[in-house]
Amino acid sequence: MNPLELTLGIMTAVGGFVDISELVFAAKAGSMFGYALIWAFVLGTIGMSVFGEMSGRVAAIAKQPVFNLMRHRLGLKLGLVTLIGSLISTLITCAAEVGGMALILNYLTGLPYPLLAVASVIVVSASMWVLPFKWIERTYGLLGLMMIVFAVAVVAIHPPWAKLIGGAVPQVPSGLSSKELLNYSYFIVAILSAVLFPYESYFYSSGGIEEGWGAKDLLTNRVTCTVGFGLGSLLAISILAASAQLFGPLNVGPEIPGTSALEAAIPFGRVGLMLALLGMLFAVAGAAVETCMSNAYAVSQFFGWEWGRHAKPWEAPRFTLAWIAVMLLALLIVLTGVDVMSLVEYAVLFSIIVLPLTYLPLMLLANDKSYMREHANKWLAKGLGWLFFVIVTCAAIAAIPLYLLTSGGSG
Amino acid sequence: MRWLLLPLLLLAACSKGPEADLPYISQARSLAAEWALINEQASQGKLTPTYIETMRNSVREQLQTSAKALSEPQSGYAKEIQAVLKEPDGARPEELRAHAARLKQVEDSLESA
Amino acid sequence: MSALGHLKIVSQLLDLPIIDKDERSCGIVDDVELEGRPGKEMKVAALLVGPGAYDGRMPAWLLWLTRQIAGDRMARVPADQIDEIGAVVKLKSCGEDLGLHQVEDKVRAWIPRKGAL
Repeated sequence: MNPLELTLGIMTAVGGFVDISELVFAAKAGSMFGYALIWAFVLGTIGMSVFGEMSGRVAAIAKQPVFNLMRHRLGLKLGLVTLIGSLISTLITCAAEVGGMALILNYLTGLPYPLLAVASVIVVSASMWVLPFKWIERTYGLLGLMMIVFAVAVVAIHPPWAKLIGGAVPQVPSGLSSKELLNYSYFIVAILSAVLFPYESYFYSSGGIEEGWGAKDLLTNRVTCTVGFGLGSLLAISILAASAQLFGPLNVGPEIPGTSALEAAIPFGRVGLMLALLGMLFAVAGAAVETCMSNAYAVSQFFGWEWGRHAKPWEAPRFTLAWIAVMLLALLIVLTGVDVMSLVEYAVLFSIIVLPLTYLPLMLLANDKSYMREHANKWLAKGLGWLFFVIVTCAAIAAIPLYLLTSGGSG
Repeated sequence: MRWLLLPLLLLAACSKGPEADLPYISQARSLAAEWALINEQASQGKLTPTYIETMRNSVREQLQTSAKALSEPQSGYAKEIQAVLKEPDGARPEELRAHAARLKQVEDSLESA
Repeated sequence: MSALGHLKIVSQLLDLPIIDKDERSCGIVDDVELEGRPGKEMKVAALLVGPGAYDGRMPAWLLWLTRQIAGDRMARVPADQIDEIGAVVKLKSCGEDLGLHQVEDKVRAWIPRKGAL
């Protein structure tokens, strides 16, 4: 295991953890419920680590990414249902990320939002064209590390540490009205969905193939998924904690994604504001790349096309056209004027519904000794995997009723 | 056949009135509070001019959207939201927080109803 | 796992990815052609690859939609071209020799060969 590669991998995972959905829901959760929803981020991160490690292991040992093997496991019909569901949910997520980039650039430059949406897509697409896979992932992941300013800001504002740490324990706050309880439940589902987005597994497993992972990389995979995702989730928890301390007492929702940057501006002034905005920009841009590539991976792998950015764009032509088409569709959605916050709500809703169909084949594959040999799931991975499968299935069933009953967490 | 009217009447009642406006009142309350926080931090020199201007524009746009979506435009809370919109860009944080507090009271009374 | 011997067609062959001798993706096993007679051993005669092989595997309306989008082309890979069956089907030849890269090659003509590191 190369220590430099491992460190870079962890740092990339940290900087690339937060996307626009986690940003929005962490800030809202903190404001509405104080520290009481930190455990939902912790639970989601453990789930993400479990399934991320499994998908990386499957990629390293079976040498095939999740979607290839998913079609084989589910068959053509059910596989198509999963593919279409995943494409729709990830496309909406990609549009939310593109819209998020345009909003943040608007806060930085004052230029018109539609122009910035087009510029964002051009720049991100250019980076995907020019850079090989490893450098696409590293560029956005490492630049996203500016988000660490949120963690430093939490320390600077002196939160009640006992309460903050106490928030990591699953709980239902006392004294909630039935409406507030429904809202609380909706936020649990939304946070789990935002952390466990299906595109993350597809991107991670495809990335493992792109980087030529083998059995020698299993430790790297495990460390990246536990340490990298764990540290990354601390950034999301920092946003929640700062919101609980700064926004909740002032009746701030927040309703505008840019308000989260105030969490760093309040203790650190303009420097904090700029670091927060730039960190958010690169984290969200990285997520735009991941969602776009994830859809292209999914469709290419499902139909057996050449795929990957380890190849030049003309060496995997249908894959290249696929990611360009996804970016353009995401841009079109943004240019219709639909609000970024609405896109985030829809992304989270559609994703949690698709999640059980994503994780079931992954569990079956990772358990299958004919593919995985001595690297098949042992008792811990099996137990945790099935536990989280049950959790996400319950969340998927509850998602739509909770969304309707709470007007998307706002009423 | 009059029994058929009942679910329709219930549906109609649900889509109008203060209860239906609760999400927009909640949004407007938050937006007023965000605006107050922006102005407070701006007065302390902690924000860039571009950020201040673009955030204020976003707040106004969203407040206008919330105001237009209300089913009771002549209600007390609708007038409160209009009063927020009439505030100048650089309004005092205390004024904006007072608007937010009044909207919060409406929210709380509707939620407990 | 060897290409020869007994196979479970659905769980061990259908919908597997196909790669050629140069490790390039060549599609998915969309259907399987069998040969045999009553009372005789049934053998895999060929793998069928492409949307033309979806007939019978999806509802009629979805098949119609698929044909509008992707056409009905199909490539036939004789069983003697199969090198190995495991997590993927490995072929003995190049995909081009078996008619498996036609669409990829057509689309390649639209992609500029510039700018990528």
